[in-house]
Amino acid sequence: MLGEQIHECHVAVIGSGGAGIRAAIEASSHGETLLISKTIAGKGGCTIMAEGGYNAVMCEADCTDDHYQDTMRGGAYLNDPELVRVLVSEAPLRMNDLISWGAVFDVTPECTIAQRPFGGQKFPRTCYAGDRTGHEMMMTLMDRYHACGAETLHEVDVIDLIPSKEGITGLVGLDRKGDLVIVHADAVILATGGGTRIYDISTNSMSGTGDGYAIGYRAGATLIDMEQIQFHPTGAVYPRDARGRLITEAVRGEGGVLKNTKGERFMSRYDPERMELSTRDVVARAVATEIQEGRGTEHGGVYLDVTHLKPEEIERRLPIMLEQYLQFGVDIRKEPMEVAPTAHHIMGGLKITPDGATTIRRLYACGEVTGGVHGANRLGGNALADTQVFGKRAGEAAALCSRISCPDIDPMIHDIRELLGTYREGTINPAAVITELRLAMWEGAGIFRDEGSLTRCRETIERLMKMTPKAVSNQNLAECCTVRNMCTTAHLIVTSALLRKESRGSHLRTDCTEIYNPEKSLFGHTGISPAGARIERRNS
Amino acid sequence: MIPIHTRVFRWNPATEDEGRMVAYEVSVHEGARVLDVLQSIHDDIDPSLSFRSSCKAGQCGSCAVLVDGEPKLACMTEASDGMEIKPLNLPVIQDLTVDLIPGINQIPRISADTGTGLPAHEEIQAIKPLRDCIECFSCISVCPACDVTAFTGPAAMRGFMRIALDPRDSTNRIGKAIEDGLFTCTSCGKCFEVCPKNIRIPGKAIEKLREIANKAGLTLPRHQEVEKLVQTTGRSVPREKLTFLEQVGEVIEPEGEVRGEVGFFVGCMFNGRLPDTALDMLYVMRKNGIRVIIPPEQVCCGSPLIRTGQTSYINTLRETNKNCFSKRGITTVMTMCAGCGATLKNDYPDKPFVVKDVTEVLTGYGIIPTQKLPVIATYHDPCHLLRGQGISEEPRSLLIPAVQEFIEMPSICCGSGGGVRSGVPEEAAALGENRREAIRKTGADIVVTVCPFCEYHIQEHTDRPVKNLLTVLREGYEAMESSGRESTDDK
Ligand SMILES: Cc1cc2nc3c(=O)[nH]c(=O)nc-3n(C[C@H](O)[C@H](O)[C@H](O)COP(=O)(O)OP(=O)(O)OC[C@H]3O[C@@H](n4cnc5c(N)ncnc54)[C@H](O)[C@@H]3O)c2cc1C
Ligand code: SF4
Ligand code: SF4
Ligand code: FES
Repeated sequence: MLGEQIHECHVAVIGSGGAGIRAAIEASSHGETLLISKTIAGKGGCTIMAEGGYNAVMCEADCTDDHYQDTMRGGAYLNDPELVRVLVSEAPLRMNDLISWGAVFDVTPECTIAQRPFGGQKFPRTCYAGDRTGHEMMMTLMDRYHACGAETLHEVDVIDLIPSKEGITGLVGLDRKGDLVIVHADAVILATGGGTRIYDISTNSMSGTGDGYAIGYRAGATLIDMEQIQFHPTGAVYPRDARGRLITEAVRGEGGVLKNTKGERFMSRYDPERMELSTRDVVARAVATEIQEGRGTEHGGVYLDVTHLKPEEIERRLPIMLEQYLQFGVDIRKEPMEVAPTAHHIMGGLKITPDGATTIRRLYACGEVTGGVHGANRLGGNALADTQVFGKRAGEAAALCSRISCPDIDPMIHDIRELLGTYREGTINPAAVITELRLAMWEGAGIFRDEGSLTRCRETIERLMKMTPKAVSNQNLAECCTVRNMCTTAHLIVTSALLRKESRGSHLRTDCTEIYNPEKSLFGHTGISPAGARIERRNS
Repeated sequence: MIPIHTRVFRWNPATEDEGRMVAYEVSVHEGARVLDVLQSIHDDIDPSLSFRSSCKAGQCGSCAVLVDGEPKLACMTEASDGMEIKPLNLPVIQDLTVDLIPGINQIPRISADTGTGLPAHEEIQAIKPLRDCIECFSCISVCPACDVTAFTGPAAMRGFMRIALDPRDSTNRIGKAIEDGLFTCTSCGKCFEVCPKNIRIPGKAIEKLREIANKAGLTLPRHQEVEKLVQTTGRSVPREKLTFLEQVGEVIEPEGEVRGEVGFFVGCMFNGRLPDTALDMLYVMRKNGIRVIIPPEQVCCGSPLIRTGQTSYINTLRETNKNCFSKRGITTVMTMCAGCGATLKNDYPDKPFVVKDVTEVLTGYGIIPTQKLPVIATYHDPCHLLRGQGISEEPRSLLIPAVQEFIEMPSICCGSGGGVRSGVPEEAAALGENRREAIRKTGADIVVTVCPFCEYHIQEHTDRPVKNLLTVLREGYEAMESSGRESTDDK
């Protein structure tokens, strides 16, 4: 029988990316806070990998109305306007928090925060620390976190939340050894980040497996717009095992141009006005079309070229890109990169209020696991801002929850033990399930989708969900739980994608030919919970 | 797909007393990283293999392992057939997974004062190079000081310096940095060599922190004595016997044709403590047609002061040394001491001459072969030659033909550098003892090196004779001459 350890706290935070750490810092000023992270705290997730920057209105020449408009337009007006208002008005405040905690962002010689242009924005409002912005943020947040008094459980995989009459009152996880970890809390914050690792080609970290969507769904929460998956236009294509690795939008922000094998700057055919700095959905489709129509490279990509920039500029502004490519034998000062779209971000997620409250009491969420902030397409630089703005809000709101006593969890623990028991008796290699799932999602629920491809994909997912992955040892139990979460998240995406019979933002249904002006679309959010799935209709 | 054979360290401390190396064969795509190989072993052969990864992009610092003995990020290092993968030299949790938490908890954390605003552009530029650290602890894994003392390590020292450079945090932490081991660093440079982010910790953090300690009056008393000595005598070694400079003239002409000419920078150790070794060098130069010019007014290079953060007097030394060579029109300055060489090369900006180590000079001109000495030799790489100057081939190519047999030994710091021998003698002794063991394992009769500090220090920690390479060459020539005489005598 597996051992178990029990913890109690006021607020439990799941995830140690930008959103989770920010939430824990805030919550810990109100009551005992326990942070549970699948990885060593601060090392996992996608925040630390973020390169390009953080959007915030930091000077007089810019204004939050413009940031609001850019975000809504970029999101094809599927965004929740109230959340966007909060995002744009608080992003600068949270940026200033980071600065006052010691963040080392680039500054101009005039001693103001340096900002670069990013796609889909009328003003250069992306603050950055070279091309290691997320790393800088995490380092700063961890400095602050170490002083805030929160406790940490490193390398514990949360597998489910504890439901009770009062709402969510804790969670159950597995530690490295495969022992159960039970946490009782007055409120729980889900900050588990994204999940595009369920696609064959993805930018995400190893923990981007969509656990939080699945965990929240099983606990009864409503998730919105799960069909909205952002494909980043510029992922690496070579070497093969590194394909999908993000080539930051900052490369285009700094002047990089896209070319096909005929040497054409093809963006002029898709968005002559904004060219390479169009929104990601547009650029990703353009790149995919060029490759599909035979103007791609041998490795299946197009060229992204910065060789016209001064070598010193490249060294100063894109040091990580330069270093990473050099490691792969390509000197981007002298030769172009080869890029193709890669699954990057899940815009959908748990439905939240501006305070991060989900549809279930005592369960809060922040960061990429939530939906509504970015609508149907996220602007580069808005996700990092999102983690800070809503991380703080969720941390504060969760900490204000009243104290409650621990519910009886014996039946639930019994069920979990039974589930884990089946994994020890499982019949299929978890890696095989994951590989099949990823290919099915890439094929069926990728950049271009239609009813047929989505339905076939759903059938595959359902078949995979019926299989029992095998845990060869107790240490492997968590992997099996992850496989379950990946399948669930994939299912949520495909089900929602079938519901949305329109092309909107990142969701391109090749079988829906009617073109709506997104502002006037008949459709609102898709919503999915264990109670059912539906799409809102707007009265136009 | 290409096949990769690899051996991987496996150990589950819960069930096994000790670890073992296990061989695997997997096929991976061309260009696969070490991490892809581990993933493939995990997915296709043994799912219980434990290792860490997260970002797969060199940004999170989760995946460092030893690949063929050297720390590497598994996600950024190309896999090679036959590679051996082991955990970092830190407490093992299972297989390749090591405990990083103690190290993380030892990194100093900034606590910014309220209302300080943005640092200036130049301040940000100064902090940035220290900011790239991903806490992978490759550096801790290889640091000799961490190995034998309670030093919190290079990554933590980097953290102290980053905070010291930041105007937003006004707390004075130099006392804490010293407590955490600031003076235990031997300046071996190994941490910089392995750092995946190329952070120059010895030069950009440790020496700079020692400077701050110096300004706060916290330089170790033994180091202060050295500074006093340099200020009063121009030398870091007290005069105990006839020095090298007192024994030689200004120009040493070679036997026969002049093939080259160098200026010689002798350095305090060879001048004051080991003049005979420097004379061996002159013998070798004369034999090989190289004219040596020795300006008598040269002084200490400043290394013992720079390494210990005592930089106020450095400019005077630098100017004296630069002038004595430049006014004689010397274009190549030769050093024989690894520490002096590294200092002249790296800490003398805008010098009007090039600096070469004696081994570079000799291999550059080529030397007359010596007779092989009938001994088994091993070679100790001086840190300031190997990493300070990037020289490893030249001494070997001179040594190997000069001895009957040559055996390599792992290159690890002997403990004599960075002011540690005088400042933290018990640490220097512990590292010296590690060398004793390494030397014993080679089974060599003699240990050859080319740094006077290493030579002097290692000799205290081994029963085998420790010789300078130049002494070995001289002995080789002398053996040749005497056997030549014998063969003429025979006639
Ligand atoms: C390569 C890359 C570059 C990007 N660049 C930018 C950019 O320049 N600007 C921008 O705005 N956005 C960028 N993004 C997007 C942005 O980084 C993310 O959306 C954002 O950082 C998500 O933050 P988070 O805190 O929600 O989640 P994450 O940072 O992903 O953290 C999730 C945390 O949850 C933990 N976790 C997950 N599952 C479990 C579980 N079951 N149990 C316990 N813990 C769990 C993980 O270990 C991790 O600690 C980028 C994304 C990627 C992948
Ligand atoms: S220079 Fe050597 S002794 Fe000093 S911190 Fe680096 S590895 Fe350790
Ligand atoms: S200093 Fe370099 S080697 Fe050391 S932990 Fe940081 S990144 Fe790794
Ligand atoms: S996996 Fe993050 S540094 Fe290698």
